[in-house]
Amino acid sequence: MSTQTALLISVLLFPGGLFALAFGLALKGADRRFAARLQGRVGPPLAQPLFDLVKLGFKRTMVPLTATNDTIFLAVPLVGLAAMLHAAAMIPIAGVTATSPALGNLLVLVYLLAIPGVVLMVAGSVSGSTYGAIGFSREMALMLAYEGPIVLVVAAVALRTGMAEGQVVTFSLAEIVRHQQVHGANLFDPVLWPAFLAFVFFYPANLGIVPFDIPEAETEVLEGPLVEYSGPALGLFKMMSAVKAVVVLGLGLALFFPVAPSGPLGLVVWAVEMLVLMLLGVTAVRVGIGRMRIDQAFAFFLKWPLLAAVASLAVVVVA
Amino acid sequence: MNILTNLKTIASRSPWLYRINAGSCNGCDVELATTALIPRWDVERLGCQYCGSPRHADIVLITGPLTRHVRDAALRLYEEIPDPKVTVAVGVCPISGGIFRESYATCAPIDQYFPVDVNIPGCPPRPQAILDGVAKAIAIWRERL
Amino acid sequence: MNVLTLFARNLLRGPVTDPYPFGPTVTQKRFRGRIEFDAASCEGCKLCERVCPSGAIKFSKDPNGLAFDCWHATCVFCGTCAFYCPTGSIRQTNDWSLAHVAADKYRMVEHGLIPNQTCVECGATTLDTAPMQSGVKPPLTAEDVATLRPLCPKCRAKFMKNRKAKK
Repeated sequence: MSTQTALLISVLLFPGGLFALAFGLALKGADRRFAARLQGRVGPPLAQPLFDLVKLGFKRTMVPLTATNDTIFLAVPLVGLAAMLHAAAMIPIAGVTATSPALGNLLVLVYLLAIPGVVLMVAGSVSGSTYGAIGFSREMALMLAYEGPIVLVVAAVALRTGMAEGQVVTFSLAEIVRHQQVHGANLFDPVLWPAFLAFVFFYPANLGIVPFDIPEAETEVLEGPLVEYSGPALGLFKMMSAVKAVVVLGLGLALFFPVAPSGPLGLVVWAVEMLVLMLLGVTAVRVGIGRMRIDQAFAFFLKWPLLAAVASLAVVVVA
Repeated sequence: MNILTNLKTIASRSPWLYRINAGSCNGCDVELATTALIPRWDVERLGCQYCGSPRHADIVLITGPLTRHVRDAALRLYEEIPDPKVTVAVGVCPISGGIFRESYATCAPIDQYFPVDVNIPGCPPRPQAILDGVAKAIAIWRERL
Repeated sequence: MNVLTLFARNLLRGPVTDPYPFGPTVTQKRFRGRIEFDAASCEGCKLCERVCPSGAIKFSKDPNGLAFDCWHATCVFCGTCAFYCPTGSIRQTNDWSLAHVAADKYRMVEHGLIPNQTCVECGATTLDTAPMQSGVKPPLTAEDVATLRPLCPKCRAKFMKNRKAKK
């Protein structure tokens, strides 16, 4: 089939689009259920995020009077979801799919990963509400804090793979995955351990889970940027966040541990790995820890994760 | 239409709760927090979840006799919640004024200002009674979807 | 406790959630719930109406007797009425399931009626209340109670004076 059809399928159906959305909702459902079990409660059914989305489809999107621009207010969640669907199409599933170069490389993925944060910021400020404005400023501070480490981590991995392959640097996700399938996962490469540490601190902030879910803190700023959204627009935001979970966790797996057999078994193994990452890395963390303040989070990110990422880059260049 | 009915059944499994404290002594608010958060009386089994913004709410829980200070704010807040919604009066204070019935500062019963659908008497109501009331509210909300 | 041991304990033990509303639940015996009124043993002293802090209990004259109404939508379930009742005819059950739709708001009433009767001695219309027993020394026997019951308050006072004079 032509490249355009292949691209359309990868963005709309698999691995982006419907597959990423369904898998993201399944991960979120498992997360809520497991969080309840960790707390000794029963918890909602596994399909609860899907019920939430269907319910949001029945409500009405109210555009507040104080919104500075109605079009931007309604278009912002669409932009976020579109970016995340594209990013999900780029995530390589080890042994099953490889990122098509027409979709972009690791640099494009980093840019796409920044879009949901910007989308939340714009949503907060276009709402015209005070709580939205607070959410906007906090999201901006948090993004400033965590964008540094992720860029450096990506650069470190790209440099390491590139130098091992004989070029200077390679930003192609397919090559990074292929290199690890041949030479062993990056997780076991001591040179990249500081980068892994930085990534471990980056993903809770990006996914908006405790201790870094400051912009969307429910009890503090009335849900921050999303305070004025309702109905299908809010549903689009929930979809964006579900697909983002798939993208970020998938990126972590692709950069550090993309080992899986090929074929359909590879898909199953990848899904199980994602589920384990979600349950242990996201749920257990968010249930067990309290939320940080924005100044604490900002200071924290400018210290250890940034140091770890810079150290990793330095070590990769030198070694 | 059959598909629509099925979708509405699915949608009715995710009612989001929002709490308005209209001058309450916080006894009922503590009980509402208890029903939601502690492991013994988990309201998330019914698909409910407390939301932080009134725009996200489906079931509105009102506690407290509507004191004169908070009346305008509570009315404005109530208008912000999108339809379809179900209003639940938690505790005896919103239903009739409770123990503050003959006070000059309260405007109870609140059904002169809000269209209340379900009442949950009790001072404060038992968590099981609150779950009862929320279940009745979900049934009413299902009809309104 | 360490959060990891807490997680392990919760995962191994399973959820501790009470099964209500999908299953039966446990209510403590002395839980202060709905009010129950027994008209047969009421003295008609109206102490409960006086001490009720929220004014939920109201006695009213009915063509058939004395009506008792306790509106549960304003009762605060404090138990003061049951505490002060001399005969225990008003008591608190442990029933908490009072949630109702708003249309039933004014039906959440515990209603009772102390019926009218005719005094066997003087023929006046009086209420069929239990005789007052507090502060009576020596205490009334069952026959005294049976004799006093169909009398009006004036005849009851006469009987009590005779009883004191006899002792």
